[in-house]
Amino acid sequence: MRKKKLQEVKSTVSEMFELPKEITLNMPKISLIGNNQMLVENHRGIIEYTPNLIRVNSTVGVIRIQGNELKLRNIATEDIMINGGIKSMEFI
Amino acid sequence: MIFLKAWNYFLGYVVISVNGLSLEKFINLCVSRGIKLWGIRRISYTSLTAKIGIRDFKSLPPIVRRVGCRVKIIDKRGFPFLAYRFRHRKMLIGGMLIFILILYGLSSFVWVVEVGGNTKVDRQVIYDILDEKGVRPGVYKGKLNTWEIENEILIQVPELSWISIELKGSKAIIKLVEGVKPPKLIDKETPCNIIASKDGLIHQLIVLDGQAEVEIGDTVRKGQLLISGIIEHEDTQIVRYVHSRAHVIARTWYEGRAQANFDSVSKTRTGEKASHKFIESKNWIINIKREEIPFEDYEIEERREAIIEDYLGLSWVVREFYEIKDNSTGDREQLAKEMAGQKAMEKALKNIPKEAKIIDKKFKYDIIKDIGYEAIVYIEVLEDIAEQTELLVN
Repeated sequence: MRKKKLQEVKSTVSEMFELPKEITLNMPKISLIGNNQMLVENHRGIIEYTPNLIRVNSTVGVIRIQGNELKLRNIATEDIMINGGIKSMEFI
Repeated sequence: MIFLKAWNYFLGYVVISVNGLSLEKFINLCVSRGIKLWGIRRISYTSLTAKIGIRDFKSLPPIVRRVGCRVKIIDKRGFPFLAYRFRHRKMLIGGMLIFILILYGLSSFVWVVEVGGNTKVDRQVIYDILDEKGVRPGVYKGKLNTWEIENEILIQVPELSWISIELKGSKAIIKLVEGVKPPKLIDKETPCNIIASKDGLIHQLIVLDGQAEVEIGDTVRKGQLLISGIIEHEDTQIVRYVHSRAHVIARTWYEGRAQANFDSVSKTRTGEKASHKFIESKNWIINIKREEIPFEDYEIEERREAIIEDYLGLSWVVREFYEIKDNSTGDREQLAKEMAGQKAMEKALKNIPKEAKIIDKKFKYDIIKDIGYEAIVYIEVLEDIAEQTELLVN
């Protein structure tokens, strides 16, 4: 309960001061370029990786990316770059 | 991105294949320990390939032990591996270094001296002076003080009005401009005569000082006395010597003569060309560029330049093939006539001073049977022919 309240305060504060939310709220930032490149910043590790399905852990839940011939082009502590034909992405 | 790739290449990386279960765990462990992986590709359920830096590769074993997978190197890429391969071939690297040094060394010397822009002064004279001042093939560029040499040459060769020495690569390019010598000015107090500088017909005579010896309409020869600086008073017989001044405008004639052959105009260039470039020696040639010649009728123009003077006996040859069109059936007579006229005019104009005013020109054409046309052009101009010469008073 208390934690939820804290989150709300953080959200309003960051909106007030126009601070980037991915930093203040510790949320993933996902950028897509067309359907063949995807950058997930602020991730919490990879759960599953196959050429057709990638699951990435994050603070808001698991991000599931489906596609074909998916490649992890770059992987670092902060961000993951995925290349390949991306078909869908969902939060579960 | 290309920068990153170059950096990775420079540091060196290996392509590894990882076999085992729970490969995601392997990736996560790598990431959490700060090991950078890139280009990860899942081959099958139990194997993936990835790229990893050399240093990071060395810190893999603990992770491998924990995950329980096997890591195999597929490929080693990058500069460190290349260097490793060459470590026993010291002479090769030495050779490379020597090559670079020689290249650098040789490029700090002057190998070619080029003089451009002179027409009246003999080229050899300038080469000799340059040689004397140290500008010659084989001299070290750092030793040349171009500014000083420029000044010295300007003083030594009074015909020059401007000179520049430019060191460009292994070339010393000398550009010069020849000045027109100012006419000898006679001091205003010195008595002088005025003579004709050219043959002509006096058209206008304005005497400012002195005694006119000719009249308008007179024909004068070169060197003839026009205005005398000796004035004798009719009554008193007193002789005065003056510095005579006058404008003597005369009609003068110039002639230009030129010939144009039917052969030379029967072919004209169409503008299409192909070129061959090669290095030639006595016994062999190296082709640099060899284009197909797509036309049947062509003229060849060849330029050759010795490489590093004549020391090596090599020359750089550019041979250009110009496509030509045959005009023999057409109006080649007309063309030849026009060309002859044009050439004659050009020749005549070369001799006419800039200040002169052209008042008339006449063309005369002579046909030379089966060969071509000869054109003579007569140009009548108005110009000042006054020339002062000092009067010697005993």
